[in-house]
Amino acid sequence: MNKILLVFTAMLALSFASKADNLRILAEAGDEATLTVAIAQFEEANPGVTVEASYLGWDDFMSTIKLKMADNDPPDLAHGNQGFTVDGTLIQSGLVISLEKYADAYGWKNLFADGALAEFMWSDDGSTWGSGNLYGISPVAEDVIVYYNKDKLKSLGLSVPSTFAEFENALKVSKDAGELPIALGGADGWPIIHVWGLVEGAHVDPSQTRSWIFNAKNTDYSTPDRMKAAEKLADMASAGYFGSDSLGIGYDDANAMFIGGEGVFNLTGTWMTADFNSGMGDNVGAFAMPRANGGVAGGGSFALPWHISSKSENPALAAKFINHLLSNEFIDDLMGVGRVPAQSPTIDPTSNLQAEVIAASNALVGANAKTFYTDWATPGMYDTVTQELQKVIGGAASAQDFMDAMAAESVN
Amino acid sequence: MSTKNIYRPQSKTDYSTYLFILPAFIFYIIFVFFPLADTFLNSFTQWNGISEKKWVGLDQYINNLQNKKITSSIKHSFILIIFYSFLPIVIGLLIAGIMIRVKINGMATYRAILFLPQILSMIVVGIAWRWIYAPKGPLNSGLDFFGLEDVSRAWLGSFDYALPFVGLIGTWVMFGFTMILFIAGVQKIPTELYDAAKVDGAGAISEFFNVTLPNLKGEIVVALVFTVTLALRNFDLIYITTGGGPGTSTMIPSMFIYKKAFQMNQVGSASSLGIMLTLLIFTLVSLILIIFRDKK
Repeated sequence: MNKILLVFTAMLALSFASKADNLRILAEAGDEATLTVAIAQFEEANPGVTVEASYLGWDDFMSTIKLKMADNDPPDLAHGNQGFTVDGTLIQSGLVISLEKYADAYGWKNLFADGALAEFMWSDDGSTWGSGNLYGISPVAEDVIVYYNKDKLKSLGLSVPSTFAEFENALKVSKDAGELPIALGGADGWPIIHVWGLVEGAHVDPSQTRSWIFNAKNTDYSTPDRMKAAEKLADMASAGYFGSDSLGIGYDDANAMFIGGEGVFNLTGTWMTADFNSGMGDNVGAFAMPRANGGVAGGGSFALPWHISSKSENPALAAKFINHLLSNEFIDDLMGVGRVPAQSPTIDPTSNLQAEVIAASNALVGANAKTFYTDWATPGMYDTVTQELQKVIGGAASAQDFMDAMAAESVN
Repeated sequence: MSTKNIYRPQSKTDYSTYLFILPAFIFYIIFVFFPLADTFLNSFTQWNGISEKKWVGLDQYINNLQNKKITSSIKHSFILIIFYSFLPIVIGLLIAGIMIRVKINGMATYRAILFLPQILSMIVVGIAWRWIYAPKGPLNSGLDFFGLEDVSRAWLGSFDYALPFVGLIGTWVMFGFTMILFIAGVQKIPTELYDAAKVDGAGAISEFFNVTLPNLKGEIVVALVFTVTLALRNFDLIYITTGGGPGTSTMIPSMFIYKKAFQMNQVGSASSLGIMLTLLIFTLVSLILIIFRDKK
């Protein structure tokens, strides 16, 4: 009898032990390759710890993450998404915890410039965004910049533009020479947000755009500068700088076109770096969009934030894993797969393009010019901004129509 | 044979027979009735999907009716009925009518080919047609080949053409179904009727309108109910081909339900729109059945 009891107790103890050292992760599928490496490193550095990761593609992830975190047995560590729709809801419902304690212990805030983590800061009731406590963090930067076809730019007699006017001129010269100035996959809607982010950024003070995203309801959207940006975008569309078919082309197809030599510029995110590099080699370059009055403009942000579940039995282990993701070891792995780490890497860029992309990214960070994504502002903004931008690109709405619809959604 | 052993209806109800429908009934309760009742209750609340529900009465319904984007999306659904229902029925009847008159070798093969779109997944259909309609896809290449460069365009990216061209995909998918339905229907029409029509000197057209069409009434009602329902609740085809765009030009109510529930944190509002769509479909189907009911 005693023996049985002993075995039973031992089993119980073991099961508790294994549970405590078991970390469950739910991530967006884009990170599978890098996380698989990170998990192996983490398990090796922490004997006895097992990490179980599961992955979901973007659409599935975004439509189920809130329900998964609200489950009785949620993952310990999971991606969220900046903004009220996902992160705000998770915090409001008390499903994820503040990372302040761990950020202090591990010194995460010292890794980044002051204010750089604002997109992860929330009030504890999840009602205000942009300041407060740290609820998420990410090791990856995703900036929206300008990629260009080097041969084409050279044969058109152009150099990399250093002002927005020069960029516009380059578009005009390209168009006049019979080239497609900008490869844009407008059928998907959201790629136009990236274009708009850069045109807006070139005309509107970035801090103004950020304040609007953090607090759309109480921030004036219809400023003269932004109106000027909207008019500029409408002019670019009517001048044919996006071609006549962009609303019938998806994002992947537009990038394939660009890689195949169609399109002088491509305004998109740094997550495309590895694909462009392998497809175009030294024929592709990148720069940060120059502003109308000097300086640089950029959409973009950190990649998806990591959150720790409030129901996690071992939040300390989850924090330790996050810390591993922020370590030099993992940062250098990110470099190896062509991504842009949010912190300075310890190794050299793996390609010319990556070097240019990192230079552009650093310029944006240095100028504090990142303006995130328009659709973060309200839960209904994604729908409104994609639809309205398609109308502007297709000539079905004026700049004024766009501004009116956006201002209305801001206070919705 | 003794008459004792012949089954005849009992005057007393034998409740044990209900046991036979019990398994199906349990499934129906769990997978149809409960979700529907739950959706109905949610439609009177403001709810983001995980937090506390707030009872708001009919507010969600009123907001939906006042939302111009939603009312215009219902208009799009009615336009799609032309393509998903009206055209397939006309084409199906035409083919059935021709098949009565003309003997074609290898008919079964043609029938199978024409029916093929029906058995393909809508996702596959959507991706294939997105490619066909693409700016550099086969349709535009064909037009260019015949010197019609001015006509070719990004069909699904056009504010004017996206909706009818998505509709035509629906026509292509649905006409195989109506065709099979009508061919089966035609085969049960007594050949005497056709012989009589011939004796009376009826031509092909007169024969079609006087013999074939009236005898296919039952099949037409089935086709109408099925295709109209599909036109209104269709989601996958629009989701794959245009996502409701460009702008809102191909937006339909089911896309709104998806966006509200999964993108905008408005599960209450999505539920009310779902209930409204269900009621709309129910009303239209009832109307079809009333209009076509047998008058005796």
